[in-house]
Amino acid sequence: MNDRKDDSIDFGYQKVARSEKKNLVANVFQSVAAKYDVMNDLMSFGIHRLWKRYTIDCSGVRKGMKVLDIAGGTGDLTAQFSRRVGPEGEVVLADINDAMLKVGRDKLRDRGVVGNVRYVQADAEELPFDDNSFDIITIAFGLRNVTDKDKALCSMLRVLKPGGRLLILEFSKPVSATLNQAYDFYSFNILPKMGQVVANDADSYQYLAESIRMHPDQETLKSMMETAGYEKVDYQNMTGGVVALHRGYKF
Amino acid sequence: MRLLPLLPTVLFEKLANSLLKKDAQSPERLRRLAGKRIRLKLKELPFTTTVSVDDAGIYISTADSDDVDCCISTELGVLPELQDTANLTRLIKADQLDIDGDPMLAQQLVGLFKSLDVDWEAELANTLGDAPAHWLMTLWRKSRSHVEKRLEESKRWFKGVVTDEKQLLPTREEFNEFKDNMQQLRAKVERLQRQFGERKS
Repeated sequence: MNDRKDDSIDFGYQKVARSEKKNLVANVFQSVAAKYDVMNDLMSFGIHRLWKRYTIDCSGVRKGMKVLDIAGGTGDLTAQFSRRVGPEGEVVLADINDAMLKVGRDKLRDRGVVGNVRYVQADAEELPFDDNSFDIITIAFGLRNVTDKDKALCSMLRVLKPGGRLLILEFSKPVSATLNQAYDFYSFNILPKMGQVVANDADSYQYLAESIRMHPDQETLKSMMETAGYEKVDYQNMTGGVVALHRGYKF
Repeated sequence: MRLLPLLPTVLFEKLANSLLKKDAQSPERLRRLAGKRIRLKLKELPFTTTVSVDDAGIYISTADSDDVDCCISTELGVLPELQDTANLTRLIKADQLDIDGDPMLAQQLVGLFKSLDVDWEAELANTLGDAPAHWLMTLWRKSRSHVEKRLEESKRWFKGVVTDEKQLLPTREEFNEFKDNMQQLRAKVERLQRQFGERKS
């Protein structure tokens, strides 16, 4: 889980060279981009929409705010933020993956979400924005794919305005042992098969299941955020801890 | 548990906003309330509901803990009584209602929906076509007027039986007189309690 201990790093259950992870993750998302939304709905039975909506509700977004949606993918959060910040505000949809960014841009433009949304291909570890420029930063289901999570948390803190908040929505560890077992069975036996049938790509969904297990649990991520310099860090489990929403402030 | 209240909230928000979009006067009414936020805390529910208004519609949240312009804490059963401002003082005294902030805001928000004027025939015509929409609306108006007439007749008959024929309940006039007497009695008791308290101290 510690990203900086040596030159190798987790890519699911495999150990790969640190320099290789970005390309491998890029390949995964290049492959799933077109079917990303359909698969999200299928895999989560549509609950991912509620997880995201809850994130928006906890963000404290208001008219005129500037929001950064990192790993924004197909723009689910961006679309809702765009409505809420209004024409005086701005939402930046950032994603390291060009294919995901294109799918997101096309989807949002088709839905008429234009005017206050900017699209930036950016690496969460080295965000290409000025210091203190965003009121809210969100990263939904993206942090586990980042090679150096500590570096990314510091980079986000740098671009966050004082008083601003970071929200991390990510898969986590179910709190009940029974749910954990059922979740493991679902993730390793059903998910890859779904990926094979719908997206013709079982490996990417096998990676998804493995990367979730390798991601820091609720308490570890909370302490990583505190170490990075976030204050008043808390988290809320959703769906029994399958997903957790971490929130931290910059003061 | 966090997600459970979210589903009806999201559905209600969608319904409310689509209704607001159907009335051409809504943008003007929304502009007057834009930026206002109101929170409702119901004793029976484990979560609070926050409604934020902007010029595009309303947003309902069950996870918002930021500042609001008006916070109402009450009970489910009390909600219908809030429609009449005359009840507010009594409910506050009875500890059944607590309002922190601008009390008019809640009524303005309710007014946003009460004043909705939607041309349902035109809305139906967009999906069904003009003739079926007109037929359906005529049928609806006729049935409604028929049901209202029947209901009024039944009420009149029931009132006659329980107040005049069997004399089981008081008439409206008798009830109003009783209510006035009760209010006078309550005022007298409060005055005596106050006097008693002053003498005791």
